[in-house]
Amino acid sequence: MGHGNYIDPMKDVRPGPGMTEAKGAERYTVQAGERLELTYVVLPGESRDIDVSVDLVGEGAEAVLRGVFLCNADERVRIHVLMHHRAPRCVSRQLFNGLAGGRADVLFNGRIVVAPDAQQTEAYQENHNILRSETARVESRPELEIYADDVKCSHGATVGRLNEDEQFYMRSRGIPEDEAQFLQMVSFLAPVTSVLPEDGRKKVEAAVRTL
Amino acid sequence: MNDILLEIKDLHAGIGGKEILHGIDLTVRRGEVHAIMGPNGAGKSTLGAVLAGRPDYEVTRGSITFNGADLLAMAPEERSWAGLFLSFQYPVEIPGVTITAFMKAAVQARRKARGLDEMKTSDFLKLLKEKMAFVKMRPEFAKREVNVGFSGGEKKRGEIFQMAMLDPVLSILDETDSGLDVDALKIVADGVNALHTPEKSTLVITHYQKLLEYIRPDIVHVLKDGRIVRTAGKELADEIERDGFDRF
Repeated sequence: MGHGNYIDPMKDVRPGPGMTEAKGAERYTVQAGERLELTYVVLPGESRDIDVSVDLVGEGAEAVLRGVFLCNADERVRIHVLMHHRAPRCVSRQLFNGLAGGRADVLFNGRIVVAPDAQQTEAYQENHNILRSETARVESRPELEIYADDVKCSHGATVGRLNEDEQFYMRSRGIPEDEAQFLQMVSFLAPVTSVLPEDGRKKVEAAVRTL
Repeated sequence: MNDILLEIKDLHAGIGGKEILHGIDLTVRRGEVHAIMGPNGAGKSTLGAVLAGRPDYEVTRGSITFNGADLLAMAPEERSWAGLFLSFQYPVEIPGVTITAFMKAAVQARRKARGLDEMKTSDFLKLLKEKMAFVKMRPEFAKREVNVGFSGGEKKRGEIFQMAMLDPVLSILDETDSGLDVDALKIVADGVNALHTPEKSTLVITHYQKLLEYIRPDIVHVLKDGRIVRTAGKELADEIERDGFDRF
């Protein structure tokens, strides 16, 4: 990458519940040759409104947005992403994975807009969710608006539960049920948490134990 | 030490309210290799699943005593700690969990359950390497995600590797031969045979007689329609190979 890269891989690792955080929308403009990288972490006990808009305005600009959210009580988490491709040959990736337990209420709304001039865009979005209780609610709402014709664009959204065949397999090898579930949840979050520094990853893993 | 390792009495079991096993009696002594043969749908895999404690199967009648303890009262992980191992017909893929992390969790949980200290990482890695070599798995598999992208033969070899790591007293091989070519079958059988001792027992569940050319059973049972309809020596496997299951 060229000059002026904006990389902030630990934008928002919270030390724990009860912390105050900035409210309101965030807006980023990414110029030609720049790369924006943001990682969001929402830990149990936090209700959050994440509202982020990214404008890819220069040719070849890149943006990577990742996030994990872990809820175990009555949190309300809203994640709105607007990824606006305004120039040709830009690349964007979004990956948000979450675990929702308790009576949590989660909405992920990821919007990708590809302007008519933004040819050869690559835009990817994934949002995967695992429910850890009967009463948690997750809604995943992808929106794609594509006005250019030479575009690679994909999105994937899932809401499910921990796989029971995997659990039985692990238990049959002597791994206790709670440890098996822990391994499943940690590996589910790994595509996002692997970019966190050690202490951030440890905080997330400690939080997984509460789910 | 009790001579009898596993005793199944009048076992009725099924899934989703449908009974599949209609009264199984089976006694396995230490040191014995038993084969359970039967056509598709006979209940072979159900028997394996019930022994390992698969939660979606229900036992409606009967008892299973393993090493003097009530097996049916034990959780799947407790059965493993007690020395029971099921080699799966379809080993499960666990994306994101490496073989090393998986086996480490299994080995340490077992030690904890037995009141032992955690094994040192260097000792664990040495054991892992040794057992992988034992089933001719390439060392790089240690970093692979459990069963993800494995060929049929690699999955079955992986099962025998796990068996070697956990050193069970009762090994249940559920259709371990299915989908294996002769070379892979031989590696798997060599592994099973090398792990066998006079204190341990093996239960080979199979449709075909082929595996039994490599793992020689002491006793052969024919399971059909949820019942054991015949029990005899090794010669029964040859009879089945010749005449099929229809006459039972």
